[in-house]
Amino acid sequence: MTADVASTRERLESRVESFVKWTFREHRPGRSHGPKVINDALLGNLYFSRHEVAVIDSPLLQRLKRIKQTGLVYQVYPSATHSRFEHSLGTATLAEKCFNAIQERASVESRRVHLDSDRTKGDLGHLRMAGLLHDVGHGLCSHASEQIYEHLSDLQEFKQNPIYAKNSPGEILSYLIITSPTFRSWFAENVVKACQAQLDLDLVGQIVLGRHQDPARHFLAQIVSSPYDADKLDYIARDSYYCGLALTVDLPRFYSMISTDVQDGFGVLVLRSYVPLEQILFSKMMLFGSVYHHQKAKCLDSMLRATIQHIANNPRECKISLDGRDITFADPVDYLYMMDEEFFNQIHPFGDEFVRRMTGRFQRRELFVRCLEISRRTVKKKSWEESFGRKMLLDLSDNPALLDGAERTIHGALPDEVKRKCDRGEVLLSVPKRPNLKTDFARVQTSPKAQIETIEKFFPVEQWTDAYAHNKWRSYVYAPNEYASAVRDAAAEVLRTKFNIDVDLAISNETCHQD
Amino acid sequence: MVTSPRTYVLPDDVLSAVLELARREIGKERLAFSGHDEDLQRIFSEISQDSKYDLLRLFVFSTSTSGPRPYSPALSDSVSKLQLAGLLGRQNPDYEVLFTTPSATRFYEEVLSHKFSRGQIDQLREVARKFLTRIAPI
Repeated sequence: MTADVASTRERLESRVESFVKWTFREHRPGRSHGPKVINDALLGNLYFSRHEVAVIDSPLLQRLKRIKQTGLVYQVYPSATHSRFEHSLGTATLAEKCFNAIQERASVESRRVHLDSDRTKGDLGHLRMAGLLHDVGHGLCSHASEQIYEHLSDLQEFKQNPIYAKNSPGEILSYLIITSPTFRSWFAENVVKACQAQLDLDLVGQIVLGRHQDPARHFLAQIVSSPYDADKLDYIARDSYYCGLALTVDLPRFYSMISTDVQDGFGVLVLRSYVPLEQILFSKMMLFGSVYHHQKAKCLDSMLRATIQHIANNPRECKISLDGRDITFADPVDYLYMMDEEFFNQIHPFGDEFVRRMTGRFQRRELFVRCLEISRRTVKKKSWEESFGRKMLLDLSDNPALLDGAERTIHGALPDEVKRKCDRGEVLLSVPKRPNLKTDFARVQTSPKAQIETIEKFFPVEQWTDAYAHNKWRSYVYAPNEYASAVRDAAAEVLRTKFNIDVDLAISNETCHQD
Repeated sequence: MVTSPRTYVLPDDVLSAVLELARREIGKERLAFSGHDEDLQRIFSEISQDSKYDLLRLFVFSTSTSGPRPYSPALSDSVSKLQLAGLLGRQNPDYEVLFTTPSATRFYEEVLSHKFSRGQIDQLREVARKFLTRIAPI
């Protein structure tokens, strides 16, 4: 590890520690907790032991009730108001179901897997605790803000360390919170001592990152972080349920197919059949198309980005004072302090005229409109197939400075009379990244004696996602309705001259309901 | 907002340059080879073991060692992004065959050849030669 990365880690650790202290500032541990049965709308009765209830009742888990699981999607699907809190309870429960399924499968195949099923100290206890805590690193609007702060220097440098290569920014923050001195101290007192639960937070943090200190037990980490982990199983079912989409993940069938084996010294999860995985991938693709990449959801993400960017660029005028702490969104940890409702409802009034106008738009759902679509359907064939403009456009999603530059160029190309009234932050270009449908290779082993193979040998997972991307991927330009036609014309001109992307306005107008 | 300078040369720029330079080495109109993502992961992991290829650090930085096989999300994302950008194609019906497109050649000539220094291009050419020894061009 280089000195720079080490100092980046220290800086982030220190800020995370301040955040955890701040979160626990008014916490007064109550009476000794008992076990609880919590009724979940999706999964039914969920059973939690005494030490788990202590963690559930802690400020770290309780704050997740104030973060919506699908960010701003509730503005598109009104019932999608479920939170990271219930998702965390579901993930812990489904992790145990995977754990049990592994043992049952081993039993019917006359194999032995040596797992400790004690919830208070063993493999199962650590696994469930990792499920409960895996999302404590989420902040304002979940992934909507993660897409913004992932580009900040500190996290980019942090990810240069191979240990964190596979992890999302939210997972890294979760790990740092779990292993922070304040949480360790609280956990030692209220979980280890008060509830006699012998759980090691270092191991819990490692499992959240998809690692295990014992390579033979690597599969336990995969239950929480892998192509078919408990996290995905819960959010696919939960997000589709709360959006009212009839997607199916046959969980009992999936569990019946899970097993483990050893590959290059690592205990790994394997599937006896790839069919349940097809179902998971299909459902995930459907969710991307219908929910996460819905054009209005992308509009909302872009409006949030513009608002936050404006605050970050104007900290003196726009900073948010929260119990003595100034939030400017220039630091990844800033996003942890701010909860969804506090931000959009301006519970602690903040910002200048632009910021107040934008938060008012969120409150009243006065969203920008799409004025130009850039896709395989709307871009003229020759320009789509023969130029490298798409690569240059996609590069914008990897570099916020370039995206900002492109939006400024479009704004600069507006007629003077429109430019005077339309703020730079009201011209938004959304360039979604290709949906991330893979986090590593899923492994298939059709029988205990068969070779372990990657899923690609059984069905072309890559091609499926490519076909999805080619047909479903869309980039949009958004603006307030009153400027839509002027912004459309300026954007079309900039795309043609700077990116060699020639949009057929007749087709785009139909899609965007423009005249 | 402070963002990382690393984003100015992207991992998919490196991959695109290696594939185009490999195409030039074999002197064909396009580089086509058989390989799943898993094979690309193995090949680039092997080549990047040599520390002189510091440009591959863009991938090495991101190669996770938490499981039995090295896996670089940056490499996986790069393949996907180049396909969506139309610089890399995947051939039916088995989808095992990857190939470069004419747009990739133009992108190298007009953008990448100016983005990388002479020394970096020499390094990428060496990587491209090593890459060719590990695949079977079609």
